[in-house]
Amino acid sequence: MAGVNKWKLLSLAALAAILIVLPQVVTSSFAIDIFIRILLFSFIGVAWNLMGGYAKQLSLGHAAYFGLGAYTSTIMQVDFGISPWIGMVAGGIVAMLASLPIGWLCFRLRGPYFTIATIATAQALMLIFLKFRDLAWGAEGTTIPNLGSSPLMMQFEGKAAYYYVVLGLLALGLAITYRIEQSWMGYYLVAIGEDEDAAEAIGVNAPRVKRDIYMISAFLTALAGTFYVQYIYFIDPATAFDFKISIEAALVSIVGGIGTLWGPVIGTVLLETTSALLQSWLGSTTGGIQLTVYALILMAIILWRPTGLMGMLTDAYRRYIRRKPARA
Amino acid sequence: MLETVVQAVINGLLIGGIYALVSIGVTLIFGVVKIVNFAQGEFVMIGMYISFFLANQFGIDPLLSLFVSMPVLFVIGVLVQHFLIRRVLGPNDMPQIFLTFALSLLLLNLALMLFSANYRTVHTSYSDEAFHIGGLYIPVAKLIAFVVAMALSGALWVFLHTTDLGKAMRAAAQKPDVAILMGINPNRVFCVAFGTALALAGAAGSLLMPFYSAYPFVGQVFVLMAFVAVVMGTLGNVMGALVASLMMGVAESLGIQFVGADSGLIVVFAMLLLTLAFKPNGLGGGRVR
Repeated sequence: MAGVNKWKLLSLAALAAILIVLPQVVTSSFAIDIFIRILLFSFIGVAWNLMGGYAKQLSLGHAAYFGLGAYTSTIMQVDFGISPWIGMVAGGIVAMLASLPIGWLCFRLRGPYFTIATIATAQALMLIFLKFRDLAWGAEGTTIPNLGSSPLMMQFEGKAAYYYVVLGLLALGLAITYRIEQSWMGYYLVAIGEDEDAAEAIGVNAPRVKRDIYMISAFLTALAGTFYVQYIYFIDPATAFDFKISIEAALVSIVGGIGTLWGPVIGTVLLETTSALLQSWLGSTTGGIQLTVYALILMAIILWRPTGLMGMLTDAYRRYIRRKPARA
Repeated sequence: MLETVVQAVINGLLIGGIYALVSIGVTLIFGVVKIVNFAQGEFVMIGMYISFFLANQFGIDPLLSLFVSMPVLFVIGVLVQHFLIRRVLGPNDMPQIFLTFALSLLLLNLALMLFSANYRTVHTSYSDEAFHIGGLYIPVAKLIAFVVAMALSGALWVFLHTTDLGKAMRAAAQKPDVAILMGINPNRVFCVAFGTALALAGAAGSLLMPFYSAYPFVGQVFVLMAFVAVVMGTLGNVMGALVASLMMGVAESLGIQFVGADSGLIVVFAMLLLTLAFKPNGLGGGRVR
């Protein structure tokens, strides 16, 4: 057993080393941009997976928290000159607080109707930011003042620094997931995901556990929102509350392996690489091709491999282990 | 003032009839097959494009193309149920949600690739006609759509309550295990339910075509309305969905009239959230799931 753990730690260290060196070796800004997208959506997927994967509360409204995080830090920066580093945490807290009433409403429904309620709340938030111009610039949105190189304001020259920021976020998300997986909370979540009524019957306080995990998930998603607007220097309701963010958060987790630590990361690597390849082959002119391919991948996974890529890898690994002694 | 209110209510009822066709389909599938079809709106879109192409290529009136769009979508529904949905039925709802969601994503983006995002319209002789009664204004195309929608809903009710197949469908909805013991073939019933629901969506598409534009995202408008109406009208309840859809149409229309042109959706979301907060089992009571 100790051997396995040693190998796990070693491979984790190797992976970390590769990821840290990567932007120094591959310096093309196009490639780093793709890496940043992969890390960012892995992180959003990890945040979604905590609630959607382990507890099977399938939200398609995580754009709500992405947008709240993005808007909180931007309003603090543009109107009050407060650093986005502080704004990022503030955005997370705003999202956490917002998840309380939203969760209170949506958790009244189960299964598919929970999913619909989350879509509706995210859309409603977008409409609020579109409609109330006094709140935050309305439909035109705003650009974020470019201060050149200013690490204290989360603005960097070159893309490598952004890469390290989002790598840090992903590490944080994975660490939190790992801690939760190892704790009682993790078991409660899986129990709720398997059968909520049965979990309650054996004494799991399901409403409380769901509320807590929704808060954590919302907090992390909001951090991604702040990072994203700092990276693209622009915010408007259609970008910050884009339904595609909600879709991709769920999609990468399901394709990679729902309710597993590394599932969202593997799913994102597959989907984002596919999308980047499609774009370089076909150009960005063909609207709809990216999501058409995503939809086909998603359908194939659901029909043939509901455990996702992680499930495939685990199966292959088990077959390999079983065959090994026979060869020796 | 009163006239404005009455006019807004009439507009709302007329479009509410179309919402009813979509939400009755959603609630029928939910009641019988026990899944939520996230792709229902995309089948409305397919119905619209069928009518658009028949009108554009052969000059067939969108109302007549009802006789094409409904059977075509019925067949699509049977195929979708038999080859896709059947494989994910069971207690685990994750694959069900994401299978129909993937289907919606696929159809929408295929439409975007094949037909582009352009708005397509069909102009008929009655598209601009209207009845003027007192100071009120009733567009002919919308009135026809409303009357046909109500007739189809009535026909579905008669079908569910008088025919053997309809009764089998209601039996399978109420107690699936017992229905199987009584010799009802569940897959056959599910196929008919799914086909019927999609035929209604196709009918909604054809009926919309004389006064509404077809574009790839058009289904999203209707499906959102339908989901809210289905929650309000108690899940799985056909009459509830019908009444709630008409109410939603009226609420949206009043919202547009008195709050602002782009406020229709805000009113709808507010209704959903209020329903969830105070009457999570739907306005008529009943059980959640």
